[in-house]
Amino acid sequence: MTLQKEIAEAFLEKLEGNKDIDADKLKKLRELISDTKKLKADDVVRILSAPSGGEIK
Amino acid sequence: MIKLEAAHIEEMRGIRKLDLTFGGGKFAISGPNGSGKSGVIDAIEFGLTGRISRLTGSGTKGLTLSEHGPHVDKTKFPDAAYVQLDVFIPALKKSAKITRKVSAPSKPKIEPNDADVASVFSRMADHPEITLSRRDVLRFILVEPTKRSDEIQTLLKLDEIGQTRSALNTAQNRLQQEQRQCAGAVTTARDSLRLHLQTTSLDAAEFLEAVNRRRTILGLEAIAELGADTKVDEGLAGKAEAATFNKESALRDLKSFASSINAEFPELGKAAAETIVSEFEKLEADPELFQALQRRAFIEKGLDLVDGPACPLCDKDWDDEAHLREHLRQKLAKSDAAENIQRSLSKSGAEISECSAKVVSMLSTVERHAQAISEAEFVKKSATWRTDLEGLKGKVATLEGLAELKVRIAAGWLSVPSDFAERLAGLIKTVEAKPDQTATVDAQTFLTTAQIRLSDYRTARKKSAAAESAFKAGKAVYDVYCEVMQEKLDKLYESVQDDFSEFYREINGDDESEFSAKLTPTAGRLDLDVNFYERGLYPPAAYHSEGHQDGMGVCLYLALMKRLFGDEFTFALLDDVVMSVDAGHRYEFCKLLKTKFPDTQFIITTHDRLWAEQMKSAGLVNSKTSVAFHSWTVETGPLVESSAEIWEDISASLAKGKVETAAASLRRHVEYSARVLADQIGAAPTFRADNNYDLGDLLPPVIGRMKKLYGKAADAAQSWGNTTAKELIAKKKTHFSSCALARDEEQWAVNKAVHFNEWANFGKKDFEPVVQAFKELLDCFRCDDCKAWIYLSPPRGNLESLRCPCNGINLNFTLKPKS
Repeated sequence: MTLQKEIAEAFLEKLEGNKDIDADKLKKLRELISDTKKLKADDVVRILSAPSGGEIK
Repeated sequence: MIKLEAAHIEEMRGIRKLDLTFGGGKFAISGPNGSGKSGVIDAIEFGLTGRISRLTGSGTKGLTLSEHGPHVDKTKFPDAAYVQLDVFIPALKKSAKITRKVSAPSKPKIEPNDADVASVFSRMADHPEITLSRRDVLRFILVEPTKRSDEIQTLLKLDEIGQTRSALNTAQNRLQQEQRQCAGAVTTARDSLRLHLQTTSLDAAEFLEAVNRRRTILGLEAIAELGADTKVDEGLAGKAEAATFNKESALRDLKSFASSINAEFPELGKAAAETIVSEFEKLEADPELFQALQRRAFIEKGLDLVDGPACPLCDKDWDDEAHLREHLRQKLAKSDAAENIQRSLSKSGAEISECSAKVVSMLSTVERHAQAISEAEFVKKSATWRTDLEGLKGKVATLEGLAELKVRIAAGWLSVPSDFAERLAGLIKTVEAKPDQTATVDAQTFLTTAQIRLSDYRTARKKSAAAESAFKAGKAVYDVYCEVMQEKLDKLYESVQDDFSEFYREINGDDESEFSAKLTPTAGRLDLDVNFYERGLYPPAAYHSEGHQDGMGVCLYLALMKRLFGDEFTFALLDDVVMSVDAGHRYEFCKLLKTKFPDTQFIITTHDRLWAEQMKSAGLVNSKTSVAFHSWTVETGPLVESSAEIWEDISASLAKGKVETAAASLRRHVEYSARVLADQIGAAPTFRADNNYDLGDLLPPVIGRMKKLYGKAADAAQSWGNTTAKELIAKKKTHFSSCALARDEEQWAVNKAVHFNEWANFGKKDFEPVVQAFKELLDCFRCDDCKAWIYLSPPRGNLESLRCPCNGINLNFTLKPKS
């Protein structure tokens, strides 16, 4: 396993328990990072900016 | 990943046509400088990766694979330049062949073209670090910590990790900027609502008191509780058509804006504007710094656009995307000062952008009032200014935009139109001149305006909450990634430093058995400090000799490759990398390669023939797994001197009646062998400062030394009472003396043959005894089993034995202690 992949897996695992990331965002982030293409900041912003778990009050 | 079985090279670099059989094991290529060794390394590297390291990197500007990869006589025919490699892939247990032409470096022919085989070759192509040259060795050791960090990160493919971290950091920064903008919008909306309500805060009770007072006037039911969906104009008749212009509220807004023009606006974003002006003054005073900054912005854009091996800035084709990225990143790293200015400008630009958004929001309110009373001229003027301010957001985010705006920023970035205050004062007078609204109309417009502003405030808060949440998520993502990355990198560097120290101790255990090293990664740097004789940690170049630094470079490389490939580290090309390491430590280096990397095939080149022989003596390679190039010409390429086949070659020449060729080969081989043997058995020829020993200088001392060693071994056997050994030594000595005598008799022939060009007078029959005499003599110095030259152990100091690597020959010199 490459170091990049090793770090990505540990990173996603550690994010699972983070209160600032909901399951929906984590799922999309996992898909994005698993993609072989290089990570783009725009894609990360799009995922993290999307409302999830209902409208924010 | 692979082991190299054989190579066929044609018209590549300095090679015309060459076949080499590596057999999947460790292999040595020796020969003087310029004999074509590195050409073989280049060709193998090209065959496996499609690139040649020596034609890329610093100091290679103007060199290209397509133009300089083929042999100099074939530069116009790159199709003729190709490499064919037969390999074995241990993980797949498959043999395969790869053929790569200079004319199509990225399209090798792979046989069998199975997906798993193709995948292995594809991975190999991504690992140019399989080749280590002396230049690379120094690259790890004698470089700035920032550069070392880059080099090692590239080698370990950490650039991908850095790229991910950078993308997450950019995302976090953008989310933070969005969150700040949204928070600013909330403040503006809150102020606007509060100004309309004429309350000191947005406390619910105070808010409801102001609203219910107007609702009572209109006979509407008072609102008891303010909820998230409460509408303050609920129940208002004809709400959709109701006018929103409330004279008193409008006057408050207009007067507030008028007051801001004089009081608040001159201070708004002032510090940021001053910073921008100051940074541009620095840039104007230092045009090179400005150029560096412009280039930085240009390269950053390019880096962002990289998507493959073609440079998006100049269209140049690179060998692969990773090297293009590294090249651009190195350019970026060159200007720390420019980077600091860039950060400062970016931060100040963002502040100006936030301040601008606030003014735009206030201006929109003023504009709405003017619109409500049909003041078209004012609306036009206000809209022009607002549009101008809205356009700032994009401009202040770039260097070019800020450069364009620098005069305006110095003069006052808001650029309040010169007559705006006057026009606003006129608008205020117009509003004041309007008849007072009736209590009913005032209450109606108050409520409709309040509802609009409450909605704006709620929307701003929702957006702000979403932006806050997104920023928190972005920060968490970035922080967690950095934390995990740091943890893994710390472990990685720890394992690399431990392996590095262990490998170095293996080589230098005689005097640095306590050697240790420390790799310290900090913010883009990678410091390397090594222990100098337990006196403390110092940079490698501080006290260690060049030879020790050479050894460190190779050890660090091996540690890094072990970490990079793990069990798949099966192949590496070491191109003349230990030239400064002394003879004793080279033996230990051989031992290191044998014991710590038993499954790795190293193809090692050296210009030093003694080192080549030491590799054999140490058992790292043997005569079948080594080759010597004795010379090179542009027409022929490297000329191979093969000890294993030399006698067959000489016989073949004689069979064809070519005594001249046979004599030249024999003399060259005997000269080479005598030089090796003089070192191996410690012969003492008359010293020559120019190191230019010929056969007559070397061979007699070698023969004399050998006779003395036999005598020494016989004395030792006698002292132990070992009759068998004594008889064997006597037998060997007799045979050796007879061979030496025969050689003496034929010596004249070799000398004449070579020196006086008299071969023409020689026939095959005349020369055969000469060949036989030298062959028999030289065979006395070789083991019959392993075919390696004999050598003294230890090479210096108190001699213990004369032996060969397989121990087939082992003559003891140690005398039995006298009781």
